[in-house]
Amino acid sequence: MVLGRRRALTASQQFLNLQANPLSAGCGELHAGSLVWWCEVTPYPLSRYYRLRIEFRQGDTPEVFAESPDLKLLAGGRRLPHVYRQDPPRLCLYRPRTYEWQPWMRIDQTIVPWAILWLFYYEEWLVSDDWKGGGEHPHAPEVETRSWKRRRYRGESRAPRHDEAAPA
Amino acid sequence: MYADQRTVMKNVQLVGVLERMCQGLELTDSQFELAKSRYEGVGRWLADAEDLLIRTVAIYLQGSTAIGTTVKPIGSNEHDVDLVAHVSEPDHIISPPALKAAIGNRLRANCHYARILEEMGRCWRLNYANEFHLDITPSIPNPICGRGGELVPDKELRDWSASNPKGYKALFLERAKLIPQMRLMKGRIAADSAGSHVEPYPKQVGFKGILPRTVQLAKRHRDIHFQNLDPCLAPISVIVTTLTSRSYEFCVRNRIYDSELDLLCDVIRCMPFFIQIDDSTGRRRWFIWNETTDNENFAEKWNADPGRAQAFYSWHGQLLADLESLTHIEGLDMLAKQLGGAFGRDPAAQALDGMTESVSTARRTNRLVAAPALGLGVSASSGSTPVRANTFFGSDD
Repeated sequence: MVLGRRRALTASQQFLNLQANPLSAGCGELHAGSLVWWCEVTPYPLSRYYRLRIEFRQGDTPEVFAESPDLKLLAGGRRLPHVYRQDPPRLCLYRPRTYEWQPWMRIDQTIVPWAILWLFYYEEWLVSDDWKGGGEHPHAPEVETRSWKRRRYRGESRAPRHDEAAPA
Repeated sequence: MYADQRTVMKNVQLVGVLERMCQGLELTDSQFELAKSRYEGVGRWLADAEDLLIRTVAIYLQGSTAIGTTVKPIGSNEHDVDLVAHVSEPDHIISPPALKAAIGNRLRANCHYARILEEMGRCWRLNYANEFHLDITPSIPNPICGRGGELVPDKELRDWSASNPKGYKALFLERAKLIPQMRLMKGRIAADSAGSHVEPYPKQVGFKGILPRTVQLAKRHRDIHFQNLDPCLAPISVIVTTLTSRSYEFCVRNRIYDSELDLLCDVIRCMPFFIQIDDSTGRRRWFIWNETTDNENFAEKWNADPGRAQAFYSWHGQLLADLESLTHIEGLDMLAKQLGGAFGRDPAAQALDGMTESVSTARRTNRLVAAPALGLGVSASSGSTPVRANTFFGSDD
């Protein structure tokens, strides 16, 4: 490990953290170099509970699916905002290529709270039809692709910028 | 432990939403100040009259503006601001039409007032377009009321009838000051979470005053409920206010509550206890007494038209059911739907916007945390995780 760089977390480290954090309490499967995690989360005391499925393969970026309830059904057929895929809904939680998420970051401390935040704005969007969570909604060609991701996140991550917080 | 916290926070959040909704429905502080300066102006104009009778008129607030329970009428921007024009020492027995006419003549003598003056059954109305209207009702002392009561014209302007706007206001404000007994939920949460400091939402929006808020919610619910029914059947505001305030006193003096929402529901539930029913004549009669003067039955019209009593009970049942159902709702969208149906879509949407904005503000200022069972909040608690800055991204497939 080069001094000043942060080592990417392995799938089993991510798994243990997901297991230990009450925010992502749930169950999962750990395989060689990959994991699947299910947890029930709620974005607000007045909100529903949602079941999330998180898939992660070392060297790749985590993918988050909202499994239940059926987000499309709740939306009365409207197209969901800020998703990579409508069905099953895969949530777009951060801007790719800008280091908002990096492989040294804990999924339970980034992806999970972001998914909760997404669900909060989703419920609000159901009411107002207006996404109040901000963000970017680029056209299809701008969206990250699997081949690009594999190149970018292979091996160790870059050194963190000085303004980034130290990992927990 | 988390489920317990969730119930507590759910009630707290619901109170916050209802509070914000009431704030959007009532006369704003600046509107109130404007109304005050306007009616003080009217008072000065009357005081400068040559007519001695009119010179002694004192103008003061009565009704919802006086006790802080205003609710914007549906489909109008204009609040009602009710005023009394009281002659404290009329030198002779003056008839209601004569006093009303004397006040009207003086108002008409001012070209500004003349333009916006409108004659109503027993009062004068000054219409300030898009702001409010001032309804000025003449009154004289009631010599036989030992509690400082007054006499105001009856609906037909034929005779004087007993009333006591000042006494009513004083009693309402006294009751509003009563402090309810609450079980210490915060302590319970702290104990449940193994002594850790748990107070995830320190700056909650609580009810400004539970009694006035309860009255406002009931009145607004009534306005929505009777919108598509016969509005003449709707219980008048003074009935809603009287039953609510008597019930509030009863609940606060006799019971202990888990949350402000529990209290709110119980106050509504107990409202009918304070309707006196008399079946002795073979024909049911209802009495909701004005406790501050003699012989003023606010439910007088129910006895002439029992349909009004029936309408009250069916509305009351709906109000209670709507409020009680709030605690079972899951999903901000379901909450918006329920609140919108019960209190109107715009105020409900406005109240939820305030809640969304508080989360967005915490997010912008890096204070947002996520906790199990509670979701997003602003300060750390056991099991909470800070929400790092992120940018939602995404395509349309």
